[in-house]
This record gives sequence, structure tokens and C-alpha cells, in this order.
Amino acid sequence: MEEKELVRLSKEGNHEAFAVLVKKYKTKVYNLAFSLTHNKETADDMAQETFIKAYFSLSAFKSKSEFGTWLYRITVNNIMDFMRKENRIKKVSFRENIENPFVQEDEMRIKEKKIIEERRRKLVHKAIQTLPEKQQIILSLRDIQGFSYEEISKILNILPGTVDSRIHRARKKLRKKLVPFLSQKGGNHEM
Amino acid sequence: MKCKKAEKLLLKSFDTVLQNNDKEELEKHLKNCVSCQKKRIEYQYILGSLKDEDFPEPKPYFWERLQPRLKEKNKYEPWPLWKHWAIKAIPLSLFVILILVASIVFFLPPQNEELSQSGILLRNQNPFQDTIPLLEEDELENKNMMLIFTAIEENNGTRRYLP
Repeated sequence: MEEKELVRLSKEGNHEAFAVLVKKYKTKVYNLAFSLTHNKETADDMAQETFIKAYFSLSAFKSKSEFGTWLYRITVNNIMDFMRKENRIKKVSFRENIENPFVQEDEMRIKEKKIIEERRRKLVHKAIQTLPEKQQIILSLRDIQGFSYEEISKILNILPGTVDSRIHRARKKLRKKLVPFLSQKGGNHEM
Repeated sequence: MKCKKAEKLLLKSFDTVLQNNDKEELEKHLKNCVSCQKKRIEYQYILGSLKDEDFPEPKPYFWERLQPRLKEKNKYEPWPLWKHWAIKAIPLSLFVILILVASIVFFLPPQNEELSQSGILLRNQNPFQDTIPLLEEDELENKNMMLIFTAIEENNGTRRYLP
């Protein structure tokens, strides 16, 4: 069944139709929440809240945008509310004795490469969490979730030019935060 | 090309294919600028570590857990459509009421105020303006009636009328 038909039926109170929409979008909504909260319980709760809000706001959905875009917009708004409540701008503790995952690659065996990559990812995520919330969200949408500029523009309801400048500013800021780790000696800078 | 512009094009290149001109200029700059070469590698590392991330799956029975929450919330929100319109209608109604009250207050015709004798004198008006018709009246009966009505208006029972 086409998505528009499912949305129409959901608006009329058809739970089965809404269940199909939930099944289709739950993973993406959950991933978006998880990429910013890094907590399974919180992400799950946020995903549930998103669908509850969506269900009771279906009458306001005018089909001008895609249902998915509208749903992600609700998710982003939920996340922003959560971040403001939790005051998520934390200081990353870049202690001197922290193991630098960018240094050790040429010393570790191939099977341990995944562990290194995971550590890198965690460090980059920690750095992202210290950015302003708008930059966190845009980096998550573009560089983690892989949404296109056009999709991000619709989700956040901003101009494509604004998406462009925000992403660039966020990436530059992120790089500056990670420079101490990227510029240490012994780093493998193969292309 | 300056490093600032080069960095801008470099970041753009991660998301889209650059135009030939821009691509050539960027490559030319990167050949000669060690700092920007380093930046390119750093960005590749950072953005590469974010891609292809393995996300955990949502907890099981997502819909089964959601359904009772929808029903529960529905008990307390029986008129979602009505509520949607009420949220917009209330401030609009308040605004209309405010406009009505303001127009009544500002556009009401001023009432004629009754001035005391001293008020009349202060405004240089003729204090005998009201009594002139009485004095000019020739018919005694009419004069008496005018005096009676004046006395009633001013609640002055001591005013006497001519027999």
C-alpha cells in the first residue's frame, strides 16, 4: 500500500495502517535519537514519544512534505527539547594520559583495527557532544545518518544555503577540537 | 587561492562533486600547501570514523509497547482536532475582544458635562444662559412650570414660583 494511503487511513484512526508506518520508520527514528543521545533507553523512549506526537498531530500533517521528513522533524524537535533539559554541552575531558586512537594504528595488528576504529568513533562523538546543539544535530543528520542537503533543509525547515554554512562551520569546529589528537607524532596519515 | 577558500571547497568536496574549475584550483592549491594537505587528511579521518556506524536495533516489540501508550493518551485527549483549532482560536478571539473594547473606549461620543456655576465662569460662558428663557417668558403659567421643572432637576425644593 502506498504511503499516502497509509497516512490517510491513519488519520481516520486506522491503527493497522499506523503500525505499518511505525514499522517502516522506527529504525531510522531510533538511530537518529541514538546518534545524539548515545543511550539505548533514552533513544527508545524518544522514538516512542516521536510516534505518539506524530499520531496525535496527524490532522496537522498536510502532505506538503513527505511523511518521513515530517516525522524526522518531530524527532529533531524532541531531541532538541531533551538536550536543552539535560544541558548536553559537556566539556570533553581530553586528559593527557588518554589513549590516542589516531597514533597507534601502525603498531596494532589488523584484527585489532576494529577496536581502534571504535575508539576513534567514540572520541569523535564525545567531541560532537561539546558542540552547540544545532551543530550536533546537523552533523548527526549529514555525517552519521547520511541525509542529503535537501532532506536536511526540509527536516530543519531552513534554506539549503543555511544547511551548507552550518555543516561547514560544524565540521571546522569539530576538527579544531580534535586537532590535539590528530597532530600527535606517529599518526598514520596514509590516504 | 587562499587557504580559507580552499578549506571551503575541500569541505564541499566531501558532499558533492566540484565543478571543473573549482576542482582544478583546489588540487593546484593542495599540491603546494602542506597545511591544507594535512587538513584534508584530518577531515577524511574524522568524517570516515562517523560513516558506516553500527547502530543498535530498537528494543524489541516496539509497536506492542507503543500501542497501549497511544490508547492511554487517547483517553485524556478525546478532542484532538478541536484542541488543534482552539489553540489558534483563543489568542485570535482575545485580540478581537481587545480591538472591540479599544474602539468603544476611544470612539464613544463625549458626554455633555454639567458645569457648576464656577465652572461656567471659568470657561467665560454666560452664567445666565439657562435663566434667560425664564426671564424672557411672559406667560406666568409657563414661567411657573419652568421654575418647577428647574427645581426638580436641581433637587432644590426651596425654589419658589410666582403665584
